[in-house]
Amino acid sequence: MSFASPIDLAALALFAPIGMALLLAAIPGLRRHGWPAAWLSVATALCTLIVSILLLLRVDVDSGPWVATTTWLRESGGTVASVGLRVDGISSTMLVIVALVATAVQVFSLGYMKQEPPSAVGRYFTYHSLFVFSMNLLVLAPNLLQFFAGWELVGLTSYLLIGFYYQKPSAGHAAVKAFWVTKFADMGLLVALLVLFATSYDFGFDVVLDPPTAIIVTLLMFLAVMGKSAQFPLHVWLPNAMEGPTPVSALLHAATMVAAGVYLLVRAFPLFQQAPVTLEFMLWVGSFTALFAAVVAVVQTDIKRVLAYSTCSQLGYMVAAVGAGSAFAGYFHLTTHAFFKALLFLAAGTVIHTVHSNELSKMGGLWRRMPITAVTFIVGALALVGIPGFSGFFSKDLILEAVAEKEQIGPLAFLVAGAFLTAFYMGRVVLLAFFGEQSPKAQHAHESGPSMTLPLLGLAVGAAVVGWFGTPLSGLLGQSYEFHWGTVGGIATLLGIAGLVLSYLVYGNHQLHPDRSVVLRQLAALARSGLVDQFYARLFHGAVIPLARIVGWVDRYLVDGVMNLTAWVALRASRRLQLVQTGNVLDYVFAVIAGVVLLAVWRIWA
Amino acid sequence: MTLSMCLYLGAALMCIGIYGVLTRKNAIGVLLSVEAMANSVNVNLVAMSRYFGGTTGQLFAIFVMTITVAEVAVGLALVILFYRALQHTTLDEATQLRH
Amino acid sequence: MLELVGFGIIASVATVAAVAVVLWRNLVHSVLWLAVLLLATAALFILLGASFLGGIQIMLYAGGVVTLMLFAIMLTRRRGGVGVENETAPQRRLPALLVSGTLFAAMAWAIHQTDGLPTEPQVPIQTSDLGFAFLSDHVLAFEVLSVLLLAATIGAIVIARRRDFGDAGPVRPMRAGRARIVRGRAR
Repeated sequence: MSFASPIDLAALALFAPIGMALLLAAIPGLRRHGWPAAWLSVATALCTLIVSILLLLRVDVDSGPWVATTTWLRESGGTVASVGLRVDGISSTMLVIVALVATAVQVFSLGYMKQEPPSAVGRYFTYHSLFVFSMNLLVLAPNLLQFFAGWELVGLTSYLLIGFYYQKPSAGHAAVKAFWVTKFADMGLLVALLVLFATSYDFGFDVVLDPPTAIIVTLLMFLAVMGKSAQFPLHVWLPNAMEGPTPVSALLHAATMVAAGVYLLVRAFPLFQQAPVTLEFMLWVGSFTALFAAVVAVVQTDIKRVLAYSTCSQLGYMVAAVGAGSAFAGYFHLTTHAFFKALLFLAAGTVIHTVHSNELSKMGGLWRRMPITAVTFIVGALALVGIPGFSGFFSKDLILEAVAEKEQIGPLAFLVAGAFLTAFYMGRVVLLAFFGEQSPKAQHAHESGPSMTLPLLGLAVGAAVVGWFGTPLSGLLGQSYEFHWGTVGGIATLLGIAGLVLSYLVYGNHQLHPDRSVVLRQLAALARSGLVDQFYARLFHGAVIPLARIVGWVDRYLVDGVMNLTAWVALRASRRLQLVQTGNVLDYVFAVIAGVVLLAVWRIWA
Repeated sequence: MTLSMCLYLGAALMCIGIYGVLTRKNAIGVLLSVEAMANSVNVNLVAMSRYFGGTTGQLFAIFVMTITVAEVAVGLALVILFYRALQHTTLDEATQLRH
Repeated sequence: MLELVGFGIIASVATVAAVAVVLWRNLVHSVLWLAVLLLATAALFILLGASFLGGIQIMLYAGGVVTLMLFAIMLTRRRGGVGVENETAPQRRLPALLVSGTLFAAMAWAIHQTDGLPTEPQVPIQTSDLGFAFLSDHVLAFEVLSVLLLAATIGAIVIARRRDFGDAGPVRPMRAGRARIVRGRAR
């Protein structure tokens, strides 16, 4: 197809969503009736998807990246900052992922949000279009500055969508918490940008820096990634983010937004390569998060929370992969994860929708009543666990091999243990939700309409199959990847199967009882205690609030004080000056003549 | 009798007139002083005309006289109006312009 | 020589008269001293050869203006029959003295500094020359002057005519600051 250049297609993918969002924002009528906004937004998403696929077909690693920029900030010496589009293998694939999952989620939402009032529906879809735009802005960014803009916008959209049910106080708190934690982390990216610019006058992704600067910049950038991609200890917002509607959780907090952090790592990998210290740090943080989150996921009772912690854990895998030096491994896992995690969330969404509860205890034996959902969920779960053949297997295997190459025992052990636990908790969820006895609430469960089941089926196909496209994907990124069996991969697979078996023994067969184990009970109590949150709360009350008080005092008495002082001086001076106005006309005459005389004298003598 | 002597006289009369304008409380008194000032100007003009030749000086003096007369007329009309409003002509007591 | 004596007498009379105008307590006497000053000036004009000017000085000034002033004084006597006040404000005396003194010093110094002031008078001009100048070189000024006189006449009439304000009476009452009839210092 030669009717449009890649840049044109990319521009269309970028501007169509924002056009729709602005349209919906500007015309309240569309939003108030809800469903027009919904259909328009879905249509836009579909359009973006088609455009992205066309774009992907045009991209070829040999034909080089297409970059189109225009100057944004100018200085006498030259351009300070520019904005534009960068189309290459990474951005075009990410574009497809975003568009695909966004379309699936929006179609799903058509069914999921049916009971909501129309004005809420309108608002919902406006936010969705805004999100797609923000994500594309980030993906197509040619430099870090525009990337940061997209990053912040995505954070804003996340806030808006988490707090969608704003009448619920918990939703509002969750939205604010997400915003605060990620905003704190974003400071890292901002300072990194400043340092980068100050030292090298360039916002590019591949600037060459001297080692100390490189370490500072990359560590700061990783701070932002820790926030956005929920790595320990900045992961605390992600479980709370489940307050938002489930399709939102699927899109933002599983497939795309949280993946933006990993996307940054991959994009700016040339920068990170210059700082091995940071890479090491990333490896440890990522692998620890992977294990930690998996442990916490085992004891959750809310199905969305299990999936949230699972996301957290899988992001840890991606971060660890990049830390181990293989940006492709991280990116590959990002791709596969987007499919199966979104699938899992949406399937969970249908369950929640019919059972009217998030709790696993309220579910059970649903496979009879919701067969399509059950099958697709199981497909997603198998992909997540890494069963050979499914997509997650290939990407997880690659990560483990990359870490193994680094010969770091600690991270490797964490990741492998995490694989075992992943299998365990997913088996637990599947068994508790879809098998076993039916709870009273589950009696009313039924399969949902096509708007909700079709996306599930589509994503299930993706989750099953995407893993086989590893080689072409790597080609687009300029690398060559071929699958082969390795020792570590084999061990991990075996552990995965073991984990599934164990979960069956505990939750399926009831041969083993978790309550019998003291260790497990302690662990469960610890996981539920929310220690990290308490630490943050204490920090806030101890440090942030007193600091805010001081700043407030300065503002009231110093800053405002100067203003008040000026006003007071003006008043006093004017009162004094008023005395000149005696009202006696002869005094005024005196003044005039005295002035004239003065002028004359000055004229004569000067 | 030199020109400078006449000029000195004019200057002296002018300054005496200024003193009067600044000091007098009565409106008519002020107008009297203004008259004295205008008169001193005429002295200067005529003296200049005599010593430098030409008609300009005297011509100008006629202008000044005419205008001064007109000004006195209008000024006195204003004084009468003032008197009608406040029943006196002492400018010092007219402090309505005060806040 | 004779000229010089004449000038000396006229100058002294004029100066004394001017001082009297500004300092005399009785307003009517002040006006009369103004008449003296104007007459002295007229004498000076004649001495300087400007006989026409001297003539109009007597007619217009010493005659017209002084008469106008006297009329005005008569029409604006303070109610209650108190004598017309004509004191000078004590608080302004010193500053006024300073100002006029400064000005006189400056002007005297300027006159003193100027070189080339002629000491011999020129031929006195004829009145006919004056007339010619009026109606040829300066005819525009002449005409404008006529308009000015007209404007002044009309203006004076308009300003000072009596107006009837209906219920409020022929004189518009003042709101604030009623005149306080006090003796001595004004408040």
